[in-house]
Amino acid sequence: MSTFSIVVAVVSLILGALLALLTIPVLVWLERRIASLIQDRLGPNRTNIFGFRLGGVVQSFADVVKLLLKEEYYPSHINMGRWLFMLAPVITFVAALLAFMVIPFADTLMINGEALRVQALPVGFSLLWYLAIGAIGVLGVIFGGWLSHNKYALLGAARAGSMVISYELALGLSALAFVVTYDSVDFNAMVQWQSGVFWGVVPAWGILVQPVAAIILIVALFAETNRNPFTVAEGESEIVAGYMTEHTAMKFAMYFMGEYVAMNTASAVIITMIFGGYQLPWVSTETMLTHFSTFALALMVAIPLVVAVLIRWMRKNNTVRPTVSTDGGRGFETKVLSIALVVMTLFLEAVLLYLGFFAENLVANTIAVALFQVAVFVVKLMLFNIFFIIIRWTVPRFRYDQVQHLGWYYLLPLSLFNLLVTAIIVVGVTS
Amino acid sequence: MLELSLFSALALFMLGGSVAMILNTQPLFSAFGFLVAMLGLAGMFALLESQFLALAQIMVSVGAIVVVSMLTILTVNAKEENLPYEPYKYRWIIFSALLVSPLSLLMYKSMTLLHEEFNGIDVVDTKLIGSMLFSKWVLPFEIVSVLLLSAMVGAIVIARKKRTKVEER
Repeated sequence: MSTFSIVVAVVSLILGALLALLTIPVLVWLERRIASLIQDRLGPNRTNIFGFRLGGVVQSFADVVKLLLKEEYYPSHINMGRWLFMLAPVITFVAALLAFMVIPFADTLMINGEALRVQALPVGFSLLWYLAIGAIGVLGVIFGGWLSHNKYALLGAARAGSMVISYELALGLSALAFVVTYDSVDFNAMVQWQSGVFWGVVPAWGILVQPVAAIILIVALFAETNRNPFTVAEGESEIVAGYMTEHTAMKFAMYFMGEYVAMNTASAVIITMIFGGYQLPWVSTETMLTHFSTFALALMVAIPLVVAVLIRWMRKNNTVRPTVSTDGGRGFETKVLSIALVVMTLFLEAVLLYLGFFAENLVANTIAVALFQVAVFVVKLMLFNIFFIIIRWTVPRFRYDQVQHLGWYYLLPLSLFNLLVTAIIVVGVTS
Repeated sequence: MLELSLFSALALFMLGGSVAMILNTQPLFSAFGFLVAMLGLAGMFALLESQFLALAQIMVSVGAIVVVSMLTILTVNAKEENLPYEPYKYRWIIFSALLVSPLSLLMYKSMTLLHEEFNGIDVVDTKLIGSMLFSKWVLPFEIVSVLLLSAMVGAIVIARKKRTKVEER
C-alpha cells in the first residue's frame, strides 16, 4: 500500500458518497423545474439564502428543514413492529446508496506501476453487486407497506414486490447478454471494451453493439426504479401514495430520497453499460495520455466557451419582470457567480497550460485525465437523469396488468432470444 | 483478532436470525429473521474472501427467495387472530432439533472433506466457476437441475385449475 493508493481509495469513496448524496437536491430541483418547463410554468425560484437562489436549488434545502420539523406519526396498531417500521425506509435508502458505490468514475489509474481503481468500493464483480444489493431495496418497501396496516400501503408493497420479480428476470437476462459480449462482469472492463470502435468509425458503445438488450435494460431499469411509466407501487388515482402512505417526516423523506438515489444509480449503470461510461467516443485514455498537449489545448479552448455561454444564460434569465421594482438580490447573485466562474476558469487554464506545455509529469497528467473523465461521467449522468425526468412528465402511466403483460410476454422472451443469438454469434466469432 | 470478532458477530446474526425466524408468530418478522440469517451467511462467504459466493448468496437468497416468500405473506395477509394456536411449540422445536442432529453431523463430515477438492485454486472468478460447472462438476449440476425441474413441474400441477364436473358438461 503506497500513499497514492490510500489517497485514491479515500478520494474515490468521498467522490462516490458526494455523487450519490449531493445529486439528491439537484435531482429534486431538476424534477420540479423540468416538470414546470413541460407544463409551461416556472417552478420554484424564490427561496434564497442572502439573495442566492442558484436557480432554485435552495428550495430543496428548505424542504429538508421542513421535513425535519414535521410531526412524527405512527399508526396506533403497529405495537411491536415500530422498530421495523422505522428501519424499512432506511433499508431502501441504504441499499440504493450501496448499489451506487461500484460505479467506476474514471479509468484505472496507473501510478508508478500500480493499478488503482477509481471506484468507491473496489469490487471486481460490480454487475453482480449491483443486481444483488439493488434487490434488497424492495424489502424495505415490503416491510414498510405491510407494517402500515393499511390497504393502500399493502397493495402498493405487493405491487412493488411483484414488479421486481417480473422485471428482475428481463434485467438479468439482458445484462447477461452484455456479460457475454464484453466477456466480463466488471463495470470498468465493460467501459474499457466500449472505448474501441467497430467498422472503423462507429464507437463500440453497448447501445450500438447490442441494441435490443440495451432497450430491454433501459426499460427494466425504469421499472426497477419505480419511475413513470411504471409507477405501480404508488399511484395517486388508485392507491394514494402506496407503500409510503403512513410514513411521515424523515421516514417519508428516506423513501423519497431512496427513490432518487435509485434513479441516479440506474442512470449510472445505464451509461456505464451501454453509453461508454466515463469515456468520450473515439478518445480512449491512452490517446489522451499520449497526446496530452493537444488534449490540454482542446480543453483550454472548450472551458471558456462553456463558461461564457453559462454566464450569458445566467444574465439573461436570472432577472425579474420589468414591472417589478426590486430584483431581490438577483443582480448581485449573477455578479458574484460570474466572478467565481471566471476565476475558476482562469485557474483551470493556468493549471492546464502548466501541465500541457511545461511540466512533463506523467503522474500529474494521469490525474488530470482521470478528473476530466469524472467530469464527463457527471455530465453524462445528469443528461440521463434529465431523460428519466422528461419521460416521467411526458408519458402516461401504464395500468398494472399492462405492466405485468409487458414484462412477462414481451421483455422476457425477447431477452432470452437475444441472449441465445448473442451466445451463438460470440461462440462463432471466437472459435 | 478482527477476523475472529467479525466471525462471531456474523455467527450471532445468523443464529439470532434463525431463532427469530422459528419463534416468531407473525410471518413477516420470521421473514426478517431469515433475511438477517442469509445476510450473515453472505458475510461469512465474504470473510472467506469468496466475493462471488457472497454476492450470489445475496442475489439468490435475498433477491429471489426472501422477496417471493414476502410476496406470498403479503398476498395471504394473515391477521393475528387467524394464526394457528400452538401450545406445545417449544417442545416440538426441541424435538425436531434433536431429530435433525444426525443429519447435521453428516453435513459437517461431508463439508469438511469437500475443501480438499479445491485446494489448488487461489483466485476464484466467474470464468473458472463456469468452466468447472460444465466440465468436472457437470453431473451433480445436472442432477440439481433435474431436482429443480421436478419442483417446478410439481408447482405447476398444484397451481393448475382442477377441472370440476360443471365445466366438463
